[in-house]
Amino acid sequence: MSVAEKTPHTDRVPAPVRRPRFTDEHGRRIRAWELILRYLLLLAVLALTVGPFLWQLSTSLKGPTEDIFSSPPKFLPGHPTLHNYERVSETLPVWDYALNSLKVAAANVVTNCVGSALAGYALARLRYRGRRVATLVFVLAMLVPAESIIIAQFTTMRELGLNNTLVGVVLPGSVAAMNVLLMRNAFLNLPYEIEEAAYVDGANVWQRFLRIALPSVKGTLAVVAIFAFMGAWDDFLWPLIVLSDPSKFTLTIGLNYLHGTFANDERLVAAGTIIAVAPLIVLFACLQRYFFRGVGEGAVKG
Amino acid sequence: MPISRRALAAIAVTALVLPLSACGSGGDGGGGSTDASGKVEGDITFQTWNLRANFKDYFEGLIADFEKKYPGTHVKWVDQPAEGYPDKISADAAGGTLPDVVNVSPDLVAPLAKAGLAMDLDKAAAKYEKEYLPGAWAGHQVPGLSGTYAFPWYLNTGPLFYNKALFTKAGLDPNKPPKTYDELFTDALQMARKSGGKVATLANVPTIEDFGRYGSSLMNKEGTAFTFNDAKGVELLTKYKQLYDAKALDPQALTATPESTGKKFLTGAVAMNPGSALDLENFKKQAPSLYKNIGITDQITSTGHVNMYVMGLMVNARTKHTPAAVAFAHFVTDAENQMSFAKKVAIFPSTAGSLDDPYFTKEDGTDVTRVRIAAAKSLKTAVNYTPVLFSDQMKTALRNEVAKALQGKESPKAALDNAVKACDQLLQQQG
Amino acid sequence: MATSTVSRTRPPRPAGRPARRPAARVRRQLPTSPWLFAAPGLLITAVFILYPFVSTVINSFTDRRTLIPGHFVGLANFRELLHDDMFWIGLRNSALYVVCTVPALVVLPLLLALLVQKNIPGITFFRSAFYTPVVASIVVVGLIWVWLLDERGLVNSLLEAVGVGRVGFLSDQWLLLFSAMAVTVWKGLGYYMIIYLAALANVPRELHEAAAVDGAGAIRRFLTVTVPAVRSTMVLVAALSSVAAFKVFSEVYLMAGPPGGPAGEDTTLVMLVQRTGTGLTGRVGYASAISLVVFVVTVILMLLVMRADRREDA
Repeated sequence: MSVAEKTPHTDRVPAPVRRPRFTDEHGRRIRAWELILRYLLLLAVLALTVGPFLWQLSTSLKGPTEDIFSSPPKFLPGHPTLHNYERVSETLPVWDYALNSLKVAAANVVTNCVGSALAGYALARLRYRGRRVATLVFVLAMLVPAESIIIAQFTTMRELGLNNTLVGVVLPGSVAAMNVLLMRNAFLNLPYEIEEAAYVDGANVWQRFLRIALPSVKGTLAVVAIFAFMGAWDDFLWPLIVLSDPSKFTLTIGLNYLHGTFANDERLVAAGTIIAVAPLIVLFACLQRYFFRGVGEGAVKG
Repeated sequence: MPISRRALAAIAVTALVLPLSACGSGGDGGGGSTDASGKVEGDITFQTWNLRANFKDYFEGLIADFEKKYPGTHVKWVDQPAEGYPDKISADAAGGTLPDVVNVSPDLVAPLAKAGLAMDLDKAAAKYEKEYLPGAWAGHQVPGLSGTYAFPWYLNTGPLFYNKALFTKAGLDPNKPPKTYDELFTDALQMARKSGGKVATLANVPTIEDFGRYGSSLMNKEGTAFTFNDAKGVELLTKYKQLYDAKALDPQALTATPESTGKKFLTGAVAMNPGSALDLENFKKQAPSLYKNIGITDQITSTGHVNMYVMGLMVNARTKHTPAAVAFAHFVTDAENQMSFAKKVAIFPSTAGSLDDPYFTKEDGTDVTRVRIAAAKSLKTAVNYTPVLFSDQMKTALRNEVAKALQGKESPKAALDNAVKACDQLLQQQG
Repeated sequence: MATSTVSRTRPPRPAGRPARRPAARVRRQLPTSPWLFAAPGLLITAVFILYPFVSTVINSFTDRRTLIPGHFVGLANFRELLHDDMFWIGLRNSALYVVCTVPALVVLPLLLALLVQKNIPGITFFRSAFYTPVVASIVVVGLIWVWLLDERGLVNSLLEAVGVGRVGFLSDQWLLLFSAMAVTVWKGLGYYMIIYLAALANVPRELHEAAAVDGAGAIRRFLTVTVPAVRSTMVLVAALSSVAAFKVFSEVYLMAGPPGGPAGEDTTLVMLVQRTGTGLTGRVGYASAISLVVFVVTVILMLLVMRADRREDA
């Protein structure tokens, strides 16, 4: 979101020596009552943010005879069963859909990481005529309402002969403007000195990019990777329009078959949503360390 | 930005030329004669609408039979999920990637026919016309165009279900469900009064088909203007307003979806719900206690004709294999195959004579059969009330104006006048 | 924006390290390489975002429909907008969305960030957990909340159990809109919390210590130290969240349904774009005109926020 004509970054100060983050900013010991209060608040927010997912999980595990509308509500299933998951996977080739989603998401991660790192580096570090215009292009691209351009995107894709292919699903979002700007900011936050030293040592621009700049923004790359994965995994309308062949469907489209097929049994819909969301939560849990480090680099600051 | 201005101009010129031309031609240009007399051969694609999950085996068998009957053909079957189907078709239509044989409903066929993308079967397949019910064949004709643009496929209609226990509680005779609109409105008001506004009888706001069934003439003969703001239309909406105020029409009807009303009926918050034999199975499974109390009665209509839904199979006007595409669309919709499909799921064949099959006439004592027989009988004179030209945008316009009338923001007359005006304007814009 | 954020919140430059101007030397490079670096990104953006958008702009001056190429109609679409009740309802709702969700998304995540800032045992778990709603897709989130707020869902069961009675969250015009806003805020909390965490990490501890020595209480320190230090981040969050709020589609669409609640009163502008412009009978020209309005308003929102940011610089 950063805009080119803001403070010229050439007079930026070098980053201060990193100190451990998220410490008690006063360096004092925390009082017991304060600690208890903090944990109470944390638990309250936890219930609010994670509770809805757990309720969905609980609903999906309730058997067909269990009343899911009871009041007061029953939080735990009386007889937990995977029956609903079985029914979903019996009716739909869930694993094929998941595999397609995985392919699309993985490709999206790779293209976004590579493409936005390159473009971000060009916007942040290299000087050339038209740099501002290039930045502006990405900023404007972020503001375009996606709903209004989808048919034109499809027509273009058809002209390229890529409709009904997974490549066609990936391509329009393969270098998202938001990610380019994230990478640009990450590179802007790097101190110049290191690269300068490499320059003196005779490293050319590709070497400086690959060996010095890129390793320093690994955290931001993790952020971009997660955003790219989420975006590809969650998308519905675009894959639906590009793909015709059910064998190529991604999970979000496939799960839409649940709609109508089961006269909307809440338990099955819940099982479907859990199938859709669980991989993302697992992925995030694995990557969260890098992710929060990326945040520390100032990546998400726009 | 000295460079960009020139670049922008260039982009602007290409953009101006490209999207407009890409759309009209539909890309494939070449193929697509209406001559279906050649040899049946080649690869064609067949697209259905949300049928794979439950009927995979049926369609795979069907296609295998066809390929056996016509060696040299190959049918690729694609099935699309329920949601986003019109978006999918319009993207394909605009991009020139429409499959050869497409599952459509009449309202989807109309714009495709107008854009020249649906094959006129009066030219390509006139000899098959007599195999179908006349009403069904006419179902895919579009006012303003001559021709028929899809093979009729399956039909559906259904009875009105009601909750006998709720009827008894409200002091109504559970064995005498309402048969006319007047009875329906009286019973609904009593139900609301006796339950203290807790139990509504109806859960949906009136749609265009309700106006049709009530006796409003929906459109003028030429198909150029809507007329559902006539006396009958206003009368129906006024009645609904009374029901809404008395909570005999569910207070949440304004935001209801078919799923939500089904759920309300299942949980006993609403006393009546339209449905089909398919729902009967669901009730049995999902709400066994309700199932015992379910009463079944005929759709209420003032015109003597019940409403039916029509599905069709359209042949892409630009198909490269006209004989094969027409042959396949006919094959899927012929009497034999429709009959075997009807035995798999609660739908009805649109082929002439099929409804006289013992399957649709012989009672065996079960509710399912009883519903099926009653529906089959009523289908012989049923009407698809929803005008072919009634687009999604028009449905929304009507729904919103009806909501305003029910909320008391507009009089029923004013609301319908506005809806007609909006729909007429949309109709003209459709060209 | 972030550039200035960081440089302003960093401690003053140590005297021994003069600011360098590295550009002079790093600048020399192969003249083509910058474009090579930027090419993949620019190409994709130009082909799949900008080119379609330019055709949207052009379409907005035509009466094009989905399957029928249009004719140039000048400003007719825009004139029609002025008399279209639905357009004004959409504008009202989208604007209301900005007004209601932006303050919540500027303040609540900041408080949340302060809550998870301290390294107390288990805090990494809480941070990740608070981020979960961001990770889940909006379709899933919509389904979950529709089920929670259903007339017979969890929230109403709880309300009934405590004697409040059932509330029609999903049937009343205003409750629907506010429920959708609540979901937007719920989903955005974790995202903006992270942005604030990054900014808070840059607040020099000396400032807090000095204030603590002066005997300032927690609230006072928050207002006099924390808020000024993260102020430009707050502006950034306001910018991001207001653009997102004005373009809101999914939350309202999923909760109020395609017609947009009772009598369409919950329609937002982007929902209107979707409704008028898609399907086989879509009025692509008219929908493009609405898109253009959405685009212009978001650009204006961005400019306003940037101006607020710049004024602080001065």
